[in-house]
Amino acid sequence: MAILLDKPQEVSQEHFLLKIAMKGANFAPGQFINIKTTEGTDPLLRRPFSIFDAEGDIAHIIVRVVGRGTSLISKMEKGEINVLGPLGKGFTLEKNKNLLLVGGGVGNAPLYFLARELKNRGNKLTYIYAAKTKNYIFYEDLYRGLVDEFLLFTDDGSAGTKGVPTEMARDIISGSGFERVYCCGPDPMMEKVVNMASASAAVEVSMENYFGCGVGLCMGCTVDTIHGFKRACMDGPVFNGREVIWSKE
Amino acid sequence: MDTKIKIGDLILKNPITVASGTAGYGEEMNTFFDISRLGAIFTKGLSLQPRKGNYGNRVLETPSGLLNSIGLENVGVEEFLDKKLPFLLSKGATPIPNIAGHTIEENIELCKILSNTKGIDAVELNVSCPNVKQGGMAFGTNMEIFCDLIKKARKATSCALIVKLSPNVTDVASFAIAAEELGADAVSAVNTFLGMKIDIKTGKPHFNNKVAGLSGPAIKPMAVRIVYQVYEKIKIPIIGQGGISSLEDTLEFIMAGASAISIGTANLIEPSISVNILDELQNYMIENKISAISDIIGLAH
Repeated sequence: MAILLDKPQEVSQEHFLLKIAMKGANFAPGQFINIKTTEGTDPLLRRPFSIFDAEGDIAHIIVRVVGRGTSLISKMEKGEINVLGPLGKGFTLEKNKNLLLVGGGVGNAPLYFLARELKNRGNKLTYIYAAKTKNYIFYEDLYRGLVDEFLLFTDDGSAGTKGVPTEMARDIISGSGFERVYCCGPDPMMEKVVNMASASAAVEVSMENYFGCGVGLCMGCTVDTIHGFKRACMDGPVFNGREVIWSKE
Repeated sequence: MDTKIKIGDLILKNPITVASGTAGYGEEMNTFFDISRLGAIFTKGLSLQPRKGNYGNRVLETPSGLLNSIGLENVGVEEFLDKKLPFLLSKGATPIPNIAGHTIEENIELCKILSNTKGIDAVELNVSCPNVKQGGMAFGTNMEIFCDLIKKARKATSCALIVKLSPNVTDVASFAIAAEELGADAVSAVNTFLGMKIDIKTGKPHFNNKVAGLSGPAIKPMAVRIVYQVYEKIKIPIIGQGGISSLEDTLEFIMAGASAISIGTANLIEPSISVNILDELQNYMIENKISAISDIIGLAH
């Protein structure tokens, strides 16, 4: 049984940090864990969260409160917690390369763990952090201190540059200097980043689909790709962005 | 302690099975537990050709329930026989393929192919698929078409034939009686209830297919009622299902008249729940000095 080490800590408006000890687990950036929010049958399904950071077998996650399930998690007491994971396939970990990371909203969470692992492997990192507004930004200093170049955008201009990076940072995203671009955020943002990225750059995206089970059983979290339908939970959540078919029929 | 259940010539080692569409082809579950322990695995509904399934939203949580509109995505019978069945048999599992053809002809062809395959001793016919040649209504909701399908499927099936009943009719028991009269060896009761979700932001149905199947604890009392009613009308075994998530739920279905049960939606939340319930059932039988599971089947009547 996994243990929630402390009460969830509010790290920005509507965003909470949870530290969960999962005996013997090994986490990779881009993987996720699946949490039962309460005993009993309502809410029924688990809620999936990407890993924000890991210390040994302790997973750190950022939970954004969007409904009743995530609200219940944000109010949990420390102690036993029903978690499955780590699940899914993570990001490609490059070595000694020039790389770009683009995160939108709570989609920034898995990119912190990724950036930390990439930094350990001698990569040069440019990080684009996008948020709706200043109050939603979590751990800006941690991100800023980790990467070589940090660019901040908010929709309302309350922090960093006003606007979305796919408009305001087109030149950077489409720059030919990056050997790989990693992106996690809302689908329209990821689609734009994939289309904008230099043809010479590989692009990886982490899909934020609605998951039924998270373990490959229900076929509910389908991602349409040039290789057919894939399950976001098992075949992803990280996909080659150029293989995803974004517009659904 | 006797936990064996007979369906036609097939003997299930115990009454705990997993429902079609919630267990894939056993591969994912086998990473959580030994799938040979289950009475049977009802595999994902098969068609002759691979099916891609539905675009757009496919699952949605409701209070204690789950709406799904997967659209019977499956690998097709060829890949099932080449890859999935050998895996299941190599693990010592008891696979029962679910047949989900969209025409009577496709269903008959699948019955023939699967029932003549070594290692398959029972098939389950999903009569809730849309009948594409006759207006798209489910086979299992029109008595005439249902009987036509069962009669032909029975003739084409050389192993045990299980008919998975639709709850979306006024009198499920009348369909169960027809299935028994036409030679079915067992019925599964019941499939998902038709439900719907409207997205109030767009003002449109949430699912492209508009309607979706409701499963999970929310449907359990209705499923128990149907099993109870069907048990009074037929002699062949009933495989009870609909929201089972615990030993208590399992016992309720067995006492209502189910000879075996299938865990469905609960697998999606706790992938090992079926074998946990099996352990609990065995302990329950010991503690309550129940020597054979048959002693409590239909106890509520």
